Amino acid sequence: MVSEKLYLKGDKLLNILDYDFKSIKNALRMGRKETIQKIKDSELKGRGGAAFPTGLKWQLASEVEGEEKFLVCNADEGEPGTFKDRYLLEERPLKVLEGIMLAAFAIGADKAYIYIRGEYTRAIEVFTEIIAAARKNKILDSKIFDSNFKLEIKLVRGAGAYVCGDETSLLNSIEGKRGRSRIKPPYPIQEGLFSQPTVVNNVESLCCAAEVLNPDSEEFANLGIEGSRGTKLLCLSGDLNKPGLYEVEFGKITLQEIIYDLAGGIKAGENLKFVIPGGISTALITAKDLDFPYSYQAFEKRGSSLGSGAVIAVSKKHDLLDLMLNVSRFYMDETCGTCFPCREGNRQINKILKEFKNSGQKIDAELISDIGNTIRLAARCGLGQSSLNFISSVIENYGQELKIGGKIYA
Amino acid sequence: MLKAVIDGIEMELKEKMSILDAAKKAKINIPTLCYEEGLSIYGGCRLCVVEIEGEELLKPACATDIQAGMEIKTHSKKVRNLRKNLFELIIATHNIDCQLNCLTCSRANNCELKNIAEDIGVSKMRLDPIKRGEGIDNSSYSIIREPEKCISCNRCIRKCEEVQGIGIFTTANRGPETVVTTFKNRGMGNVECTNCGQCILSCPTGALHELYQKDIVLDILSDQTKHVVVQTAPAVRVAISEPFSNQAGDISTGQLVTALKRLGFDAVFDTNFTADLTIMEEGTELIERINSGGKLPLFTSCSPGWIKFIEHFYPEYLDNLSSAKSPQQMFGALAKTYYAEEAGIDPEDIVVVSVMPCTAKKFEAKRDEMAGDVDYVLTTRELASMIKSAGIDFLNLEESEYDELLGVSSGAADIFGTTGGVMEAALRTATELITGQELENIDFDIVRGLEGIKKAEVEIGELKLKAAVAHGLGNARRVMEMIKEGEEFDFVEFMACPGGCMGGGGQPISCADNVLEKRQQAIYEIDKQKTLRKSHENPYIKKLYDNYLEKPGSEKAHRLLHTKYKARKI
Repeated sequence: MVSEKLYLKGDKLLNILDYDFKSIKNALRMGRKETIQKIKDSELKGRGGAAFPTGLKWQLASEVEGEEKFLVCNADEGEPGTFKDRYLLEERPLKVLEGIMLAAFAIGADKAYIYIRGEYTRAIEVFTEIIAAARKNKILDSKIFDSNFKLEIKLVRGAGAYVCGDETSLLNSIEGKRGRSRIKPPYPIQEGLFSQPTVVNNVESLCCAAEVLNPDSEEFANLGIEGSRGTKLLCLSGDLNKPGLYEVEFGKITLQEIIYDLAGGIKAGENLKFVIPGGISTALITAKDLDFPYSYQAFEKRGSSLGSGAVIAVSKKHDLLDLMLNVSRFYMDETCGTCFPCREGNRQINKILKEFKNSGQKIDAELISDIGNTIRLAARCGLGQSSLNFISSVIENYGQELKIGGKIYA
Repeated sequence: MLKAVIDGIEMELKEKMSILDAAKKAKINIPTLCYEEGLSIYGGCRLCVVEIEGEELLKPACATDIQAGMEIKTHSKKVRNLRKNLFELIIATHNIDCQLNCLTCSRANNCELKNIAEDIGVSKMRLDPIKRGEGIDNSSYSIIREPEKCISCNRCIRKCEEVQGIGIFTTANRGPETVVTTFKNRGMGNVECTNCGQCILSCPTGALHELYQKDIVLDILSDQTKHVVVQTAPAVRVAISEPFSNQAGDISTGQLVTALKRLGFDAVFDTNFTADLTIMEEGTELIERINSGGKLPLFTSCSPGWIKFIEHFYPEYLDNLSSAKSPQQMFGALAKTYYAEEAGIDPEDIVVVSVMPCTAKKFEAKRDEMAGDVDYVLTTRELASMIKSAGIDFLNLEESEYDELLGVSSGAADIFGTTGGVMEAALRTATELITGQELENIDFDIVRGLEGIKKAEVEIGELKLKAAVAHGLGNARRVMEMIKEGEEFDFVEFMACPGGCMGGGGQPISCADNVLEKRQQAIYEIDKQKTLRKSHENPYIKKLYDNYLEKPGSEKAHRLLHTKYKARKI
């Protein structure tokens, strides 16, 4: 029987007086260099979806000179099906706070922002209280734990745009600008918030970093397998008997076990058709192909990604076209409108699918493929580039059933 | 220096150069749409994407710096196919249909989209046009917006914000509802728009154009009861041939006059004449202010875009503006008084039409303070279109002369068409009038050229005149801030458009490189060829004062040739 590995998940951590801040104290004792080395050694990768090595990011940022530096915690959790950051913010905000402190200390920032999705009213309340309590108990601002480390934290509420989950769009949003991606380079590490060196980390990544530095969980960094270390929070949803938030060790559990053991299998005796492994910006995994250990590399090998950890199980009772329309509508509405491939491409895809649904006539697979490639190869930001991943994978796998046919990505 | 390969061509290139610029060096044209030289990089249209060896995703050439060892393919099959597909997506949003079609478009003969289609070899169109149902914005006296034609390239936004320093446009909404609009969708007539029309020059489609009066003017020309007089601004004669010849820098003053006569104007006069007059009135005002300790610096008031700018953003400096009307308005006032009397025509029957390189002149003519001076204002583009529609073979026309009374001008008036020109014309006259001696060299090179802000100290007898020249409203703002911070000037020339009037928002949309330089050379060439080169020596100006206005700054001159301005809100 498979089981969870609990590090990030656990009892509520809300009372600042009961929390020891062992990780940050540990880091303050070790110094910045060694702290970063620990994170590098842990092979921690970003948990927001892009999987960039966290230690490397911190190291690069720590080496950049700037008038000031910023650490930004990306809590704009907008990928449909994802609710792990919400859990961490609502139930374990002290862990998040500690992660922010750690990262800020490591890169040499004395100002941090946490950008929380606007709809997360509870999380915003909780974290506002945590910041206030930390300041009151002299855990923020200056001379933190009797060191020279000082940190100011500001909470910013998102205004409801999916694109602001993209780090450069998020920075624009904090600056009061329109939520749209920036041209890279310069990367945020060089010129980020208010043109200063900035590290943007996902909530879960910061909590993992806190685990790595936690003397009580020294084994955390050794969990998993090479290339996929530590644990991952999974947001299981869809046609499952036991949907919810789970924490698993990388490489030690298969997708099959996740669906059928952890989540209790498919609801109401239905059969599984496919799994969306990491939110709707990832390509689906068919029901036949679930028997592989959960890791970054296993999904990459399958042309997909574990994304944000939003695992959505889809049974055979659904109309594929409806699912595609749903996802397409989402991307059409949520493109920031800046680059032509994403804005116009997603609009046209939605139109084509809608017409197909209404008329039932043959669909122009070549046209979908042309538009799909245009978006993937030429869109301005990662969100745009991956906006057609799910729809393309549906057509590739179930083209015959849909009477569409053909490979989408050239 | 670094080495890179573009389309198989090995190149040695400077660091920090975009792939787009590097390709240009290799004589490779990469199609662009949202890119415009002089504006910030937007990276939105993605038409300039190229393939970089070893990278799967394509990269925008405008926004990607070339790196050592890069192997770039600018026109590979992958790239070409993508551009074609992308172009289909763009065209679908441009909404071409029976109502909005290419034949009736303001950009029918210089459409950037059409040029791009040709460049990338578009061969099929599979997508239906998308109707957004946005209405036309006709709230402005100068500029019309047709949002249905807008493809959201953001060039107008960036031009207005970055070059002109104003920012009346913005992007609103997201997703497919993303549109370019004005603040709270109020319309161009209800925001701080200066009517300069620089956005029109940047628009790749027909989404922005002037408020057309060409058809009304054609109608009036066929009304035998009206006596229709026309005036042409200095910058028109060096640009009017561009839509016919597709090259810049030709002087076609004589053909312009002939064409206007053929179109049926009863008298063809020159705004240059009232430019000379402006020098007399404004120069007198300057000398008076200097001598009597009046408000300095004195600001020029010829550019209606600049006037609206100062009214919105620096109303506390309105008293620094010369009270002299602009040459266009002076002309209108004189045409309906002096000319009417001299020619024995009832002013009620006179219709005054202007041909201007400017869209803001349309607004100026409608100002309450000067209403009735000028009846209709045509841009250089509109006149070119009228000439075409009248079947006139412009380039091969014989030359004719302006009608005399309000048509003779000095070279000093010609240079009003370029940045620095009003200053130079004023310096020529002021120096001679103050010192009583003839200038040895009348070319004031110190105020020439295309530098954004020029400062000069000019010795006029015992007086050291501190002068500044600014063109483009971004530069105007910079000079205003210098003044605010205490920098002292006596006389400042402000022009709303980059380059001055020759770069005006009503000029032909450039088809040539370095168009401003070429137009400017032509303007100075006209001045050089003239024997009469100083405003105060214009015999018809002398005649006007002797017979009608008495002297510069007289009570009558003030009544006809001077005006007031008003503070406007932001």
